[in-house]
Amino acid sequence: MLLLDYQNVLIQSVLTERFSGAPPASIDQTVSDFDGVTFHISTPETKTQILLSIQIRCFQDLVQYGAEEVLQREYGQYVAPVEPGFDFSVMVDLENIPETKEERDALALKFALLKRNAMAAPFEQAYQEHYQLREEASKFTSEEAPQGVQEGGQVKAIHYREEEAIYLKASHDRVTVIFSTVFREETDRVFGKVFIQEFVDARRRAIQNAPQVLFRNDPPLELQDVPGVRNTGTGEIGYVTFVLFPRHLTPQRMADVISHIQTFRDYFHYHIKASKAYIHSRMRKRTADFLQVLRRARPENEEKERKTASGRTFKVQGN
Amino acid sequence: MSQSLRPYLQCVRSSLTAALTLSNFASQTAERHNVPEIEAQSSPEVLLTPLTIARNENERVLIEPSINSVRISIKIKQADEIEHILVHKFTRFLTQRAESFFILRRKPIKGYDITFLITNFHTEEMLKHKLVDFIIQFMEEVDKEISEMKLFFD
Amino acid sequence: MSIIQQHTSATLSDAWRTINIDALTEDSSLNFDTSTLHPPQPEISEAEVRQLAGQVRQLLRGGDPEGALRGCLETPVYNGEDAAKDAHMQTIIEVLQSIKASDMSPLLKSIYGTEGGSECLDVLMKYIYKGMAAVHPGNASRSPTKDASQGFSQVGGRPGANEPATAAMSVLLSWHEKVVEVAGLGCIGRTMTDCRRV
Repeated sequence: MLLLDYQNVLIQSVLTERFSGAPPASIDQTVSDFDGVTFHISTPETKTQILLSIQIRCFQDLVQYGAEEVLQREYGQYVAPVEPGFDFSVMVDLENIPETKEERDALALKFALLKRNAMAAPFEQAYQEHYQLREEASKFTSEEAPQGVQEGGQVKAIHYREEEAIYLKASHDRVTVIFSTVFREETDRVFGKVFIQEFVDARRRAIQNAPQVLFRNDPPLELQDVPGVRNTGTGEIGYVTFVLFPRHLTPQRMADVISHIQTFRDYFHYHIKASKAYIHSRMRKRTADFLQVLRRARPENEEKERKTASGRTFKVQGN
Repeated sequence: MSQSLRPYLQCVRSSLTAALTLSNFASQTAERHNVPEIEAQSSPEVLLTPLTIARNENERVLIEPSINSVRISIKIKQADEIEHILVHKFTRFLTQRAESFFILRRKPIKGYDITFLITNFHTEEMLKHKLVDFIIQFMEEVDKEISEMKLFFD
Repeated sequence: MSIIQQHTSATLSDAWRTINIDALTEDSSLNFDTSTLHPPQPEISEAEVRQLAGQVRQLLRGGDPEGALRGCLETPVYNGEDAAKDAHMQTIIEVLQSIKASDMSPLLKSIYGTEGGSECLDVLMKYIYKGMAAVHPGNASRSPTKDASQGFSQVGGRPGANEPATAAMSVLLSWHEKVVEVAGLGCIGRTMTDCRRV
């Protein structure tokens, strides 16, 4: 089992090295991350000023849900004018960084978490919305609550990949997170289903307080009126729904929950691919075994002829 | 080995041994050609009665004998979606390597997962009982492999 | 009028490419008449089969499984309607299923020892193969992926756990094993080569 890190390891290592007091050098690197996110880390003017820019496909969506504020809050003094072609930039001056190693590492990590923080904005907003709705709902009994409180907030859509999106919906007793994910082939779909089934089982068996997970091939009811949700009817698109209950929604847990849920898709697809690779290697081995059995069917003298003709040496089987 | 698997494999083994009595036979339709009659289907008198051996409706073997070639088609057990995918992937993987398997047909017969085509040239240069052993072992191992791969998933 | 104009949509299709012109030649090997490979067989109607089945059941009830088995093996339906053939196969399978496993070998040996016994076992072999071929066609084509609709509801269900069919198969398989033990591989060979198909 592998858990993916939330930060971008490459950026983290570059920055840690720079911060460690090594002589300033010019950097110009383009770094890719999951979901088609591109980073550009460079030293445009002087070797001590490191500029880190990020490009996210869905930045417009994120801005709409308060990404600017979150990023301002996280990076404050480091925010820099946006580099052309990118969505957001931060700048750090090597002559002006914290003293201790711990603080420097923390800063490197903070920069490496740029994508995570940008993507976290809608989640945070959903959390706030949930708190607000809970506040309001507590004033009413469930029957007489006004329509708006009952139904919860607007569905937030983040189109973080070309054909895939995350949908968030806050209501007074839960926050629903829905991933739409495309399965390119039948095999992926079946494998994916097995994994999701495992999530469902895990909740049933051991981890009772895990979020509820649902999987279906047609858009869930929450997404009925959301534009851009297609029902292809081919089962190509899967919808994975996580229902976060109040115990996941405490402010203390917010950061962890957001980080975990963001890596879900990468984690999910990583495991599908790992399984395929494993199966492939097994098949390869098994095929070699079969060939060996078949080779035994050749009489001995034939075996020797083959050896000289092809120039390869075969291990003589069976004696 | 499970209770009903042994008679099944035994039945396949004896049927195959009986069916693998092949002789050289030149095509009657195309001069100077020598084709597997079971594929050409051009001379009804040299095609023999096909035999089906079944363990249940999801596992069966079809043996189509003819004078100079035998076609053996195997339907592998597929209890659910995952097994279906695994069988499909595995048989495709194998058929793509048909060249090195000599007796593997590049395309399975309709309704089956994998087909072998053994001609008199194969039986001339390979030991017949070893070929039968191979098919039997193949059937055993495929089942085992599929269930092991499935276990890995669970 | 030019030739091209005479083409209609029917003649323009390439269906003609798939016509096997060899089949149109009278003395092509394709047109070999396989019915000349064996003497003409008497046609047996479904009514006769049913009548025989009645007699066989009576013998079974009377505690004479050997007689019952012999009775139906001596009159194989080589020439007849499919219904008659199937009915006869049902009768034979019924007889086979009603015989205990421990009685199989002695019974087969005793049939094999009598005159015409080896022919009887050949016929039995033909019916064993026919029996195994007959079970599945209906639901075999159903692919397990097709009914995978939504969600997990059907994950637990395992198609193909058709118990009666599996049981019938294992009876036939053990009979097959015993017949080969008694009558040898030649029995299978004759099943394949005999053009009188049941």
